[in-house]
Amino acid sequence: MTGLGTAVPGVAHPADLLEPGPPAGRDDPAARLTGRGMRYRDRATRLALCAGRDALAAAGLPAGPERAIDGAEIGVVTSTNLGNVDTVCETVTRIAEETYLGTSPMSLPATASNVVASWVAISYGLRGANLTLCNGPTSGLDAVHWARLLITAGRVRAVLVVGVEPVNPPVRHLAGDERALLDGAAALVVESAASARDRGVPALAAIGPYARKGSCPQAIAEVRHGLEAPIGLWCVPEHRMPIAPPGLDDAVTCDLSATLGGCSGALGVLQSVAAASWLGAGGTGMALTTAGAGEQADDDAAAALILSPVGR
Amino acid sequence: MDLFVTGMGAVASIGRSPGEIFDSLCAGRSGLAELRGFDRTRFRARNAYEIDDRPAPGADLPLRASRWLEQAVADALRDAGLPADLSGVPVLIGTTLRELRSVELSWRDGVPFDLGDLHFGTTLRRRFDAANTYTVANACSASLYALALGADLIELGAADTVVVAGVDTITESTYGLLDRCYPEAPDQVRPFDRGRRGMLQGEGAAAIVLSGRAGGRRHALLRGVAVNCDAYHPSAPDSASIARAIREAHARAGVRPRDIDLILLHGTGTPLNDEAEAEAVGDVFAGLPTVPYMTAIKSMTGHTAGASGLHSLVAAVSSLRSGVIPPVVGLTDPAEEAARLRLVRGGAAHAPLGVAQINSFGFGGLNAVAVVEKVA
Repeated sequence: MTGLGTAVPGVAHPADLLEPGPPAGRDDPAARLTGRGMRYRDRATRLALCAGRDALAAAGLPAGPERAIDGAEIGVVTSTNLGNVDTVCETVTRIAEETYLGTSPMSLPATASNVVASWVAISYGLRGANLTLCNGPTSGLDAVHWARLLITAGRVRAVLVVGVEPVNPPVRHLAGDERALLDGAAALVVESAASARDRGVPALAAIGPYARKGSCPQAIAEVRHGLEAPIGLWCVPEHRMPIAPPGLDDAVTCDLSATLGGCSGALGVLQSVAAASWLGAGGTGMALTTAGAGEQADDDAAAALILSPVGR
Repeated sequence: MDLFVTGMGAVASIGRSPGEIFDSLCAGRSGLAELRGFDRTRFRARNAYEIDDRPAPGADLPLRASRWLEQAVADALRDAGLPADLSGVPVLIGTTLRELRSVELSWRDGVPFDLGDLHFGTTLRRRFDAANTYTVANACSASLYALALGADLIELGAADTVVVAGVDTITESTYGLLDRCYPEAPDQVRPFDRGRRGMLQGEGAAAIVLSGRAGGRRHALLRGVAVNCDAYHPSAPDSASIARAIREAHARAGVRPRDIDLILLHGTGTPLNDEAEAEAVGDVFAGLPTVPYMTAIKSMTGHTAGASGLHSLVAAVSSLRSGVIPPVVGLTDPAEEAARLRLVRGGAAHAPLGVAQINSFGFGGLNAVAVVEKVA
C-alpha cells in the first residue's frame, strides 16, 4: 500500500482513525469537492471521490498527464453495500406519487450499484479493470484482496481501493435500528513492491494472507497459519467475538465500528487504512484486520487479512 | 493452463434450463410480454421480458433473483457431476441490481426484507454452505467480469474449480427511469434495427462451473477474458475502448480476428450501444474476406443485465456444440451501422463453428469480452 485517504467527519489524517474515542467535529468531508460536476453525484460518490483523490495524491499518482503510471494500467475496486439505495428508494417513491414522469433522468446511472466506481474512474482517468464489490460486512477486506489479485494476475499495475457508505433515510430503514452509522469513505492505493521501488515511493504496508470463511475464528486461524511474527494490532469486526482467539491478548485492539458507527462495506478499507498508518508509524508486529462474524443473520461469512511492515 | 466449462445452468423468460433457452432462441421465441410485476398505470412502457413466477399480476415478491441464482447454480453443479456443496469452492456472482427489488418493496410497501440478503452470499451459504463468495456489482458486464476473476483464481493456483454466475431481476426504479429517458417507449428489443427505440429489461440467472482439472465433462474451453473501463461517461459507451477490450481478449486467447467464427453481440437495441459496438467490431474485423456470424439474444431474452454476459456465453457454447446460430428477432430493417456486421436474420443459421467471442458491456464504461472454443 502506497497511499491512503479518508473522508470521515472529524478525521483529518488516516492516523486519526487509531484514536481510541469517536472523532471530534462533524465537518462534512464531501464539502471539500465543489463545482458544477458535483450537482448530480450521489452522496456515496462524492465521499468516495474525496478519499480517492487523497489516496492517489499520497501515492504520488494524482490525476494528470504526467502521472507515473498510465491510467490504462490503474484499476478501481470499490466496496459499498448501501451506496445507491437512496437513489433506488427515492425513485420508487416518486413513481408511486407522480408516475415515471416524476423521476429525474440524471439519476439513472446511480440505480446501478457500480455508480461510485464509475465516477471514480471517470474523474481520475483510471481505465484498468474496474470492480464493485457489494459483499456484505466483509466487503471492504474482500476489495483489498481483489485489488491484489488484479495486480498479481497482471491485469493492472496499481489499484485504487475505495470503501464508502452514506447515511440517509433508506439506509436507516434497512439498518433497522438507531445505532450510529458511518457517513464516510476511505481509500488506499495498492501496487507491487517492484512498482513502488521503481517509482521511488515508500510502501506503508505489505498485504499478507487473506481468507473468507464461515466464521471469524476460522478466518483468523487460516490467515495466521504458519505465521511466526506476533500480531501487534487487531482491528476487530463489528460484532465482537465473546472470546478473543489465542495469541491476540497482547495486541492493541482497534474497534472502528465503536468509534465511527457501523461501517458496513467501508469497514475493511477503513481498517486497512488504520492498520497501514499504524505500521507506517513503526507499530511492532503485524496487523490483523477482521470483518464479519459469519454467524449472524445479516452476516454470511467472515474475512481476515494480515498486513505486515515493509523493509524492517 | 486449460480452463473448461464443465457445467451450465440458466433460467430466463424463455426457458428454465440452458437447453430450453437455446431451443427457444433457435426457434425465434421471445419472452416479450405485458409488464406483470408493477402497477402498469405508473408507466408509459408496456412490456418486459419477465420470468412469470409471481402469484398474480401486479403482486410482487422479494428474493426472486436469489431463487433463480440458487436454481442456476444447483443445475450447473449437477450438470458438472459435483455435489451441492460449495464449502471449498469460490463463487463469483455478477449482478447489476442485486436484491434491490426487495429493497424497493421493503422501503415503499413494507414487505419484510433482511439486509443480509442484499448480497447473494447469504443465500449461497444457506443452500450450498458456500463462504468464499463475491457479489460483483459490475452493471451489465458483471457476469463476464466475474468470469475473468474466476479464471484468474484458477490460473493463479488459488482454486482448481470455481462457480461463476450472473443474476438480475427488474427493479421498478430502473424500469421507470429508462421509461423517462427514452423519447418513445420501446415495444420490444430490436438490436441493430432502424426501428429500435431502446432496451427493455429481462430477468434471469446463469451459472457455469469452470475447472482447470483434467477429466470429467467438458462443454467448452475458455480461451480468455479481457476487461477494461472507458473512464469516459457514466452511461454512454466509447467504441475505441470497446475495440481495445476485444483486441485484448483475442491476445489473451491467442487468436486472430479470422479465427473467430461467431460473435454474441451485446446488442441492446439502444442507438448508443449498437453504434459503438458495430464500430468497434467493424474496426477489429476490418479487412477479412468474411466476417464472423453474429447474433444478439437480447432480442428474445430482453436485457438480462448482470446475467446477460453469461446468458450469451451459455448460448455460444450451445451454438459451438450444435452448429446452430439463433437469429436476431425483430431485425427487419437493418440500421446503417449493421452493414459491417453479419447478423443472422429470418431464422437460425447452420454452420460448423470452432471459436466464439462474447461481448458484454455495462454502465460506467465497463467492457468484458470472452473467447470460448469448441471441444471434441
